[in-house]
Amino acid sequence: MGLLKDDVMTIEINVWDLPLRLFHWLLALAVAGAIITGEIGGNLIDWHGRIGVFIAGLLAFRIVWGFLGSTHARFASFFPTPARIAAYLKGQWQRPGHNPLGALSVFALLAALSLLVGLGLFANDDIAFNGPLSSLVDKDLSDKLSGWHARIFNGLLIGLVGLHLAAIAFYARVKKKNLVVPMLTGRTVAPAGTETAMTGGGIARFAAALAIAVAVGWSASGGLLAPQPKAVPAATPASAPPGW
Amino acid sequence: MKLKVALALLLSTASVAVLAGQAEDQQTKFRQSAYSFAAWNCSKIKNQVVEHPEAYNKEQVVAAANAVAAVANSGLGALYGPGTDQSTGWKKSRLKPEFFDKQDEAKKQALAFNKEANELARVAATGDVAAIKTQFGKVGETCKSCHDSFRVKD
Repeated sequence: MGLLKDDVMTIEINVWDLPLRLFHWLLALAVAGAIITGEIGGNLIDWHGRIGVFIAGLLAFRIVWGFLGSTHARFASFFPTPARIAAYLKGQWQRPGHNPLGALSVFALLAALSLLVGLGLFANDDIAFNGPLSSLVDKDLSDKLSGWHARIFNGLLIGLVGLHLAAIAFYARVKKKNLVVPMLTGRTVAPAGTETAMTGGGIARFAAALAIAVAVGWSASGGLLAPQPKAVPAATPASAPPGW
Repeated sequence: MKLKVALALLLSTASVAVLAGQAEDQQTKFRQSAYSFAAWNCSKIKNQVVEHPEAYNKEQVVAAANAVAAVANSGLGALYGPGTDQSTGWKKSRLKPEFFDKQDEAKKQALAFNKEANELARVAATGDVAAIKTQFGKVGETCKSCHDSFRVKD
């Protein structure tokens, strides 16, 4: 089953590049923060919105890094084709990086989070919060998108995050393979001969991915919209209310 | 003759049903109006206290907080008659049917909103912007908990 038995020669290699690891842990923190602030509500809903914009930037970074990053960060290197999934299920998968089932989880999480953030930007809470792009749609549509934002969170994201954590626990307890440490250090152990040297993802490519991520985050925060009036009608001293 | 009586009965039953529906729709309309009005006042408070404290105007925030408290104190419970979950005010009601099975919970949440809204009016009068902001968040939390419990998602 792809286990590293004692009689197999192993070698320690670099598997996760630094930007990928930073992305992963920032995303984990941000999603935790978004869940907490979204559940509590009140004034924290503004932080929920800010964190959502930050996640939009993180997701944009990861998608670009899936093309510009180093070997095991690139989508093509771990895209879960049926042949790869079959090989994995037969226990013939030895390569480092995301295994084909893990890759399905990666793509599902990225898609679910993108959908969730995309909907959230147009959502409102019917109390005193409007998503940064909600002014682009009418209230009825914003209400519908808010409903889907909640449904996709409850019905999909929670399940995917649970599955992700359960898989890590399963690997640790049953397969005796720690997946957390490599995500911290970037290094893992692979059977000698199966390893793929990690290449690519240099500083220039990182700068390009970061620039795109910042641009997406800025747009998600409403940066491309016309400046909003400073205050709602009848609330700004600059244009004094009629006095009744 | 029999036919005429039957017809008359049918008509009056139908019109009673329509009238009954109208009464429920009317409650829902008032209800939706009340919350919309509260939301407008909340948006003013948020604008001056949270988003643009440099534009803070005590008089306007006090007026808005008093309006929210007045809505909370107006006896909104009277607008939640049986059947109003199926009624249409300005738009279809989003009240969950289980609202009527969980009256204790509904009452608890309504009273929490009243308490925090009245506290907001009190704090607004002090002019302490940081305290108003904190209390405004507490009001929002009571809105949310009731939405989460008793409002259908769009």
